[in-house]
Amino acid sequence: MLDMLPGIFTGERAVDLFRASVLLVLGVLFAALASRLVLRVAGKRLSQHHLQLFRRLAFYIVLALFVASALRELGFSLAVLMGAAGVLTVAIGFASQTSASNLISGLFLIGERPFSVGDIIKIGNTTGEVLSIDALSVKLRTFDNLFVRIPNETLIKSEVTTLTRFAIRRLDLVLGVAYKEDINAVREVLMAVAETNTLCLDEPAPLFIFTGFGDSSLDIQFSVWAKRDSFLPLRNSITAEIKQAFDAAGIEIPFPHRSLYTGEATRPFPITIIAQDSRED
Amino acid sequence: MHDNPGSTNSRQWWLPQRVPVGHTLSCQLGSLTLAVHHAVGEWQLVSRHVDEAAAPGIPELLLRAGALEDETFERFLYAGASDGLGFTPLLADRSVVIRPRQPVFLPSGQETTMYLSTPVTLRIHLDDPELTLREVPMLALSDTWFGPSTREGELCYSGKTHARHELADVPRRVHRAITPLTIRNAAPTVLPLDKVNLPVPLLSVYGAADGRLWTQGVSLQRGSDSDMAALKIDAAPPADAGKVSLLSGPRQAQSRAGLVRAFSLLFGV
Repeated sequence: MLDMLPGIFTGERAVDLFRASVLLVLGVLFAALASRLVLRVAGKRLSQHHLQLFRRLAFYIVLALFVASALRELGFSLAVLMGAAGVLTVAIGFASQTSASNLISGLFLIGERPFSVGDIIKIGNTTGEVLSIDALSVKLRTFDNLFVRIPNETLIKSEVTTLTRFAIRRLDLVLGVAYKEDINAVREVLMAVAETNTLCLDEPAPLFIFTGFGDSSLDIQFSVWAKRDSFLPLRNSITAEIKQAFDAAGIEIPFPHRSLYTGEATRPFPITIIAQDSRED
Repeated sequence: MHDNPGSTNSRQWWLPQRVPVGHTLSCQLGSLTLAVHHAVGEWQLVSRHVDEAAAPGIPELLLRAGALEDETFERFLYAGASDGLGFTPLLADRSVVIRPRQPVFLPSGQETTMYLSTPVTLRIHLDDPELTLREVPMLALSDTWFGPSTREGELCYSGKTHARHELADVPRRVHRAITPLTIRNAAPTVLPLDKVNLPVPLLSVYGAADGRLWTQGVSLQRGSDSDMAALKIDAAPPADAGKVSLLSGPRQAQSRAGLVRAFSLLFGV
């Protein structure tokens, strides 16, 4: 072993080392060039995310080729290296099952594109803006300004709602009115509220659905459409306006009613009314 | 009191105004109530909307010495020395979908001209150098969606019309620009005019001597055999308007592709 050491410094070895170094430097240069070429050729046709992916791919493929050539110059046998790499891959594969699963899920996610950077998505109880879609995870910023990392595997397995895919959204309001109210009058009041609210879209028209006879109220679903950005302002404004309009029209929003019986179907509780002044006496 | 007699109750309210330092210009322009105060080194602005039904038909401008009475104004810091203030009416930044109040039908082979009015936006600017302070819609318009489904389509503003075809019947309103819309139905079937998508960002605003605002005429022709409708925007202001001056150009340049649109994209049928 020690006998071999001086061999490294012999002229021939030094030339090999020099060649390998030049190959490595060239490799980095060409890889960067390939990455820029991808940007120039496909810059306008691909999304930001796909572009980043292809640029990285081009960079590492070119670099890997040059690294392999450099290793050959140094006298390494590629066949042996590949074999060793194969064994290593199996070992690493077992050790990093979760990461690998996330990586593959990430590839599917990029292929499927259910959302992109800047979209607002909802996964389980987490709602936030997508900051980045990476190989292993997706990073979100929630509305209370927290940074949330969600593994790609979770995204593939669970239900993901993209809130910003379409330009308009529907707001479903569930209302109850007292049994004494005329449903047609309620409908007219609600439609008038929707018409006067400028955030509420005229088309698609507001939807009025009578959902049933509830325990204490006539149950109604009133659905209105809004521009995506106006969804929250509409939710706040229209509920206040409905309450005002109901109050103005004398429409009652009931609270739960309970009737108590003594057990015998028709006989009420025996109640004695004590007059105020007689009690004072 | 009135340093600038030309600015008081002039029908042509879009003409340049002079507001010396320490003075306030109060305007009632249709449904928009606006007050602009020129303070030392800044301009102060406050605007309100009144109900369209209660809006006066003639503009009222009053210049007086003194500050704004309303304290909810916005301040625009300005180092210039100019007193010049300008109001420019612009059309809305999105198309307006207009629905007639009663169902309107156009039988086969018929042609009609309807006078549609759409609310304008007011650009308030200083004249030297020309700086825009603010754009205020003169009437808050409701949003609407115009498209075949909730996935495809475009966001528009919505408007209601009486679909008047006699100019004399069109009420005089400061905050609206009138567009003569000529529709010709060359198809063999009756054309229901449930709603019409008026591409106002492609139109210019003209001011007439009587204080009315106009746009170029728009003509739509429903072809005899296809679902396409040809949309044509006249180059000149309509003859009905009389002598007019150009106040603002279109917000969007008209593309050749925009000339012929799918019929459903214009009429929503």
